[in-house]
Amino acid sequence: MEIRSVSYHLLGGIQETNLSNLPENYFLKYYLYHEACWPELSFVAVDTETGAVVGYVLAKLDEASEKEEQRIGHITSLSVNRSHRRMGVAHRLMAQSEKAMQEVYRAGAISLHVRVSNKAALHLYEESLKFTHDRTEVKYYADGEDAFCMKKVLPIPMD
Amino acid sequence: MAPLPNSKDQTLFRSVLSFYENKQYKKGLKTAEQILRRNPKHGETLAMKGLIINCLGRTDEAFTIVKDALKLDMKSHVCWHVYGLLWRSVKNFGEAIKAYKFALKLEPDSANILRDLALLQAQMRDWNGYVESRRLMLGQKPNLRMNWTGLAVALHMSGNYEEAEGILTKYEESLKVQPPKDDLEHAEALLYKNMIIAESGQTERALEHLLSIEGRMLDVSSTLEYKASYLLKLGRNEEACEVYRTLLGRNGDNRAYYKGLEEAKGIKEDDVAARKKLYEGLAEVHPFADAPRRVPLDFLSGDEYREAAEKYIIRLIKKGAPSAFLSIKAVYKDTSKQAITLKVVEDFLAETRANPPADDASEADKTRHTENIVWALYFIALHYDYYRTRNLDLAFKTIDEAIELDPTLPELYMSKAKMYKHAGDLKKAAETMNTARELEKSDRYLNTKCSKYTLRADDNEGGLKLMSLFTRNEAAGGTLGDLLEMQCIWYLTEDGEAYMRKNMLGLALKRFSQVHKIFEDWHEDQFDFHSFSLRKGQIRSYVAMLRWEDQLRHHVFFRRAAIDACKVYTLLADQPHLGHASLSMGQLAEDFEKLSTAEKKKAMKKAKREQQKEEEKRKEEAAKRKDEANGKADDKVVDTDPKGEELVHTTTPLEDALKFLNPLVEFNPEFVEVQAIAFEVQIRRKKYALALKALVAGHKLAPNDGRVHEQLIRFRKIVDSLPSEPTDAEPLSDVLIAEFNALLPKDTNVVEYNQQYLEKEATNFINLRYGLQAKFFLNPEKKDEAAAELVKAVDLEECDIKEAVEGLKVLREWKASDEVLNKYKEAGRGRWPQATAFQA
Ligand SMILES: CC(C)(COP(=O)(O)OP(=O)(O)OC[C@H]1O[C@@H](n2cnc3c(N)ncnc32)[C@H](O)[C@@H]1OP(=O)(O)O)[C@@H](O)C(=O)NCCC(=O)NCCS
Repeated sequence: MEIRSVSYHLLGGIQETNLSNLPENYFLKYYLYHEACWPELSFVAVDTETGAVVGYVLAKLDEASEKEEQRIGHITSLSVNRSHRRMGVAHRLMAQSEKAMQEVYRAGAISLHVRVSNKAALHLYEESLKFTHDRTEVKYYADGEDAFCMKKVLPIPMD
Repeated sequence: MAPLPNSKDQTLFRSVLSFYENKQYKKGLKTAEQILRRNPKHGETLAMKGLIINCLGRTDEAFTIVKDALKLDMKSHVCWHVYGLLWRSVKNFGEAIKAYKFALKLEPDSANILRDLALLQAQMRDWNGYVESRRLMLGQKPNLRMNWTGLAVALHMSGNYEEAEGILTKYEESLKVQPPKDDLEHAEALLYKNMIIAESGQTERALEHLLSIEGRMLDVSSTLEYKASYLLKLGRNEEACEVYRTLLGRNGDNRAYYKGLEEAKGIKEDDVAARKKLYEGLAEVHPFADAPRRVPLDFLSGDEYREAAEKYIIRLIKKGAPSAFLSIKAVYKDTSKQAITLKVVEDFLAETRANPPADDASEADKTRHTENIVWALYFIALHYDYYRTRNLDLAFKTIDEAIELDPTLPELYMSKAKMYKHAGDLKKAAETMNTARELEKSDRYLNTKCSKYTLRADDNEGGLKLMSLFTRNEAAGGTLGDLLEMQCIWYLTEDGEAYMRKNMLGLALKRFSQVHKIFEDWHEDQFDFHSFSLRKGQIRSYVAMLRWEDQLRHHVFFRRAAIDACKVYTLLADQPHLGHASLSMGQLAEDFEKLSTAEKKKAMKKAKREQQKEEEKRKEEAAKRKDEANGKADDKVVDTDPKGEELVHTTTPLEDALKFLNPLVEFNPEFVEVQAIAFEVQIRRKKYALALKALVAGHKLAPNDGRVHEQLIRFRKIVDSLPSEPTDAEPLSDVLIAEFNALLPKDTNVVEYNQQYLEKEATNFINLRYGLQAKFFLNPEKKDEAAAELVKAVDLEECDIKEAVEGLKVLREWKASDEVLNKYKEAGRGRWPQATAFQA
């Protein structure tokens, strides 16, 4: 397993991983859009032997914040195939994305949504990555489940 | 251009334009007609009417109208522009470009037309034309940075590195003040220029330039990666080492950095001691990274391997990471490591079992103890399930032991399902996967796996029903509609393959065509970025996108569906009755096989009559549905052939196959299976030159491959039997014949040649099977002999279950007797007692 920056030829595999793991899906153009706008922010975990995608983080800059004083990075989607879970893949992907948000875009914070019932993800965000609860968005998901909006303040990088 | 005489109509005309731009087509159409009532000969209004009608899905009508408009007003750039837009909408970009160019001649200053033309040129990779358009655009608005970068991209893509670089420099020099340090667009433009310099082959200068801008780069990762690769290329290894170490400090899980470091250090691949030392050092510096612990397992051996493997595997087992075996199985290529690896885990298991927690130990300790045992058993079970070390009895036994300790862990059932698959019982496999799924219903991954296994067991409805648990089912077309919209290629392919196995070739073709369509959409997707990316200023990423799009169909998703589709089309060419559901499935199909030629003809005729009736009915229904849809939405296109009946009832299956085959061969020539299927299609089309081309390419890739061998023999026979006088088939030139003779000389005794191959490949089941197919082809009367040899081959160690099932299909193609089939199945049962395919 290895972790790399996303490149276009992996987007099909990323889309497939997303479709396999999460009910929130997008057509390829949305992935293209991420890669065309913020190519530094998304990362992928790949099986070294087969080259297959096993996990990814798809991230962007919150468009509303782009012209603001404080830019905010946003995690659009994160998932890891069950076969590769619990070995720190998600943690590493998130760490890479966080760093790029600071470095390239001088983002002062990072935000994301998570299902209130998603224990694994909540553990990752709260315990491992030190995100905090911002607020709850009622019925955020298509099936009616609520979302926690999570946030983390990023330290300003030193040059 | 003829203006409208009255100012009220002029205002109306402007509102037609804005209705069109805002996609209010109904209103636009009404207004245009209002103008036309008073000015029936106004070409531009008529053109706009045509354009809007096209947006409403009535393309043929639109073309007629716009052509009339052009006749009325040949000198109007609007009419020509609209004409170009129509061609663009039916994806005839060549004609569209021509029309835009006419429009531009009439109105050279129109930025809109120029932009539309440029976008198409980029889409069509007409780089020289694009350079010209971009020059004009820069001339129109030299104050915009994107117009400079646009021209630079055009030049870069057309291979003119020098001028591309020059244009970027010129813009930089025109800047009065240096942009602020966080100006990403500026930083990107500088890095893009650096990339151009490097691609022009001037590594030294690229490095120099990079060092001069390094300080203000925001994309630090790329900058360091470029720097490391330049230094390495220039032989400045010590500096390269340093940069690679910096990169590793940023991402200790990127294998390319480790490789770069090894290269920079000049460590040879077989210098185990040096590599071991390097990775030990790296493991200390990067305590959480996987690579420095995992990579040495590839090159270490014996006790050193044992020691390193133990540390690596046991850590993962203790963490409860299901990937422990997955992460290590690649080392099994080296057979000596198989036993060592197993022993490592068995020892850990024995030791854990020998040291149970005390009775008063904490619950957590007790749980951890059991978990360690379970994950160790899981590892061992996977070891016995892996094809290099397969022993299914032991695999089942071990996984059952684990399940007894923890019946709630989905992974255990998932691996057991896989074992059933390997044993050939696909139904049990699907059922077991369902047990896993039910243990954690909220996990879509388990649902996905379960659906896939259900499709593998040929249960299309069941597979879809499972998918529906996680899709938005209110989308048009329900679950399948949602999967299509979300471009769920794996599902479409698996679903199609299941239909293929069931001889439901219409639905199979439908699914493969849907995958084909998704790739067309992916190709179309880039269109918006030709302008968007320049505005955003992410130029390197845009160039990467262009390059990826150029190779788009070099993708395993496309390859798989396209090969499948070509297989279906060759089947249809060989056995046209398979296109008729009534003759291709169930009892009727078996009966059909037994009919005489005359009776077959009669049955086909009847099926065709029925089909015609059905088709008419379907067309009526489709028209009705279309009318209904037209009433509702403007832009929803209705699928008039949801079951693929039109596709499968084709009278030209081989020509239809080209839609898949041409891009397949163009973008995937390095795959033997691609050349093999190309041969099969072309030989049936009697395009002997193309068939030979595929054969030669296949032979070059895998000279010993069974498929290639069998095709060589078949081709020899065809060449030898070609009549000397011209036929409808394409003639084979002497050059080609000479090329073929070099592969298989003209006077070869092919029967003997094949016999030698069979002897040489006596232990390779796949090659043997193809050799036997050749034998049958050369001497159909030796069918029984060939069949008997195939039955014997099932016992070969190298024969795996998938291949064995294929063998059964070959026997059926030969119309082997029931007795022979039963013998084959018996042999199959001997090796895979649970396999459904071999049950009596
Ligand atoms: C959530 C998810 C991305 C985590 O991926 P992962 O690679 O297994 O996570 P990691 O191995 O990096 O684990 C990070 C931390 O979370 C913990 N964790 C992971 N899975 C857990 C689980 N099922 N229960 C409790 N904790 C869990 C790990 O122990 C680790 O904690 P640590 O830092 O204290 O050691 C993965 O489970 C997943 O893809 N789920 C389905 C899709 C999804 O829910 N995505 C998130 C949408 S917001």
